Amino acid sequence: MTSNQDQIFDGKPVLQFDNEHDRRSFLRTALIVGVGAGFVGYAAGDPTSGTRSSAFAGNLAQASVQGDLDILNYALTLEYLEADFYTQGVDGGVVSGRELDLVTPIRDHEQAHVAAITATIKDLGGTPVKSPKFAYPNGTFTNRGTFLATASTFEELGVTAYNGQVTLIDSVDILAAAASIAGVESRHAAILADLTGGDPFPSPIEASASMGAVLKAAKPFIA
Amino acid sequence: MQIKRKNFIRGDVAAVPPTVALGALNNRFLWAQAADFDSDVDVLNYALTLEYLEAEFYRQGNSAGLLSGKEMDYLDAVQADEESHVSTIMQTVQKLGGEPVAAPAVDFGESFASRESFLTTAHVFENTGVQAYLGAAGFIQDKAILQAAAGIFGVEARHAAVLGNLLGLEAEGGVYMGATETPLTMDEVLKAVSPFLADAGAMGDGAAVTL
Repeated sequence: MTSNQDQIFDGKPVLQFDNEHDRRSFLRTALIVGVGAGFVGYAAGDPTSGTRSSAFAGNLAQASVQGDLDILNYALTLEYLEADFYTQGVDGGVVSGRELDLVTPIRDHEQAHVAAITATIKDLGGTPVKSPKFAYPNGTFTNRGTFLATASTFEELGVTAYNGQVTLIDSVDILAAAASIAGVESRHAAILADLTGGDPFPSPIEASASMGAVLKAAKPFIA
Repeated sequence: MQIKRKNFIRGDVAAVPPTVALGALNNRFLWAQAADFDSDVDVLNYALTLEYLEAEFYRQGNSAGLLSGKEMDYLDAVQADEESHVSTIMQTVQKLGGEPVAAPAVDFGESFASRESFLTTAHVFENTGVQAYLGAAGFIQDKAILQAAAGIFGVEARHAAVLGNLLGLEAEGGVYMGATETPLTMDEVLKAVSPFLADAGAMGDGAAVTL
């Protein structure tokens, strides 16, 4: 154990962080490689570790849960937007044939994502945010091209949003759940690019975007 | 530091590196079931093996002259993506001080007999790749590597969806594989790709990736 970890386990953290990101980075690293290992050792009855107070480990876990809850509520907001958008599009009959066949499951997925993220937030003891009210430009649900172009924008936004949170999620369970959703958004993005004459494979490694940038892009659609 | 743990994962007494232990204990996903990876280099060499397989598959398939027009353009882009993944992952392994595994000898059998067999096999490869990355993601410790793996994972999902659509498959179950992606363990992935390995016993390098 390093001296830093000893200080933490004594309940006297001396580390200073310049910003929230650094603090969260540290918590993630500490939980995975240091504090967490000690805690696991304690749980396993290993006499060489875990003899110190586990109270601070509990506090760490709580802090990381709050961070994950924030990320989940952010994801939930984006999923609300997508679910509302596709529900209106499918109900409005703006696409048909193969396009409708491809878009209808997307609606179902986004609705399932809303339900799954809501349940996860509740499981963690958090409170799911309420859905904002959404507004779309005129013609969104009557013009096929406008609808599919907007859908493509939302999917690419969703992909970069999930990718932007991957390294900030503390719980490996939540990382797994978020990644399993993100891959589906990637599929949607590729299909919509194909339907709109765009590029389904814009780069060999997908881009990511910060929460601030994503929310700024989504803001015009929030009434 | 190694922690001796009893009965948590395999029902035996095993020395498991602490980095793996926490993920495994906390995790309800499939990757919890196998302590497959000791380090990021192990995870990367596993991914590299699959990317070698995919890159070589598209090199051969795209050389067979089975496609035209938009389809050909798409598959050329897919090949370029896989080749980029190979070189990115190789460089990352080297940067970490590891030794990149050698490319496995491959045999794609009758995959390039027709457009349909090429695209159908490609579709299977891509879906397997998606599941492999998801199954391994929880083992990655380095944040930059996790970020890159997530970005590659998403690209494999894009490939899979477009291939399903080119084949005209049902949207759900063909283009999309449900509301969430499903992870696979390393054993399951290696079993799925083993028919394409000419010398299955030689795959991988030492303990990192073995059948």
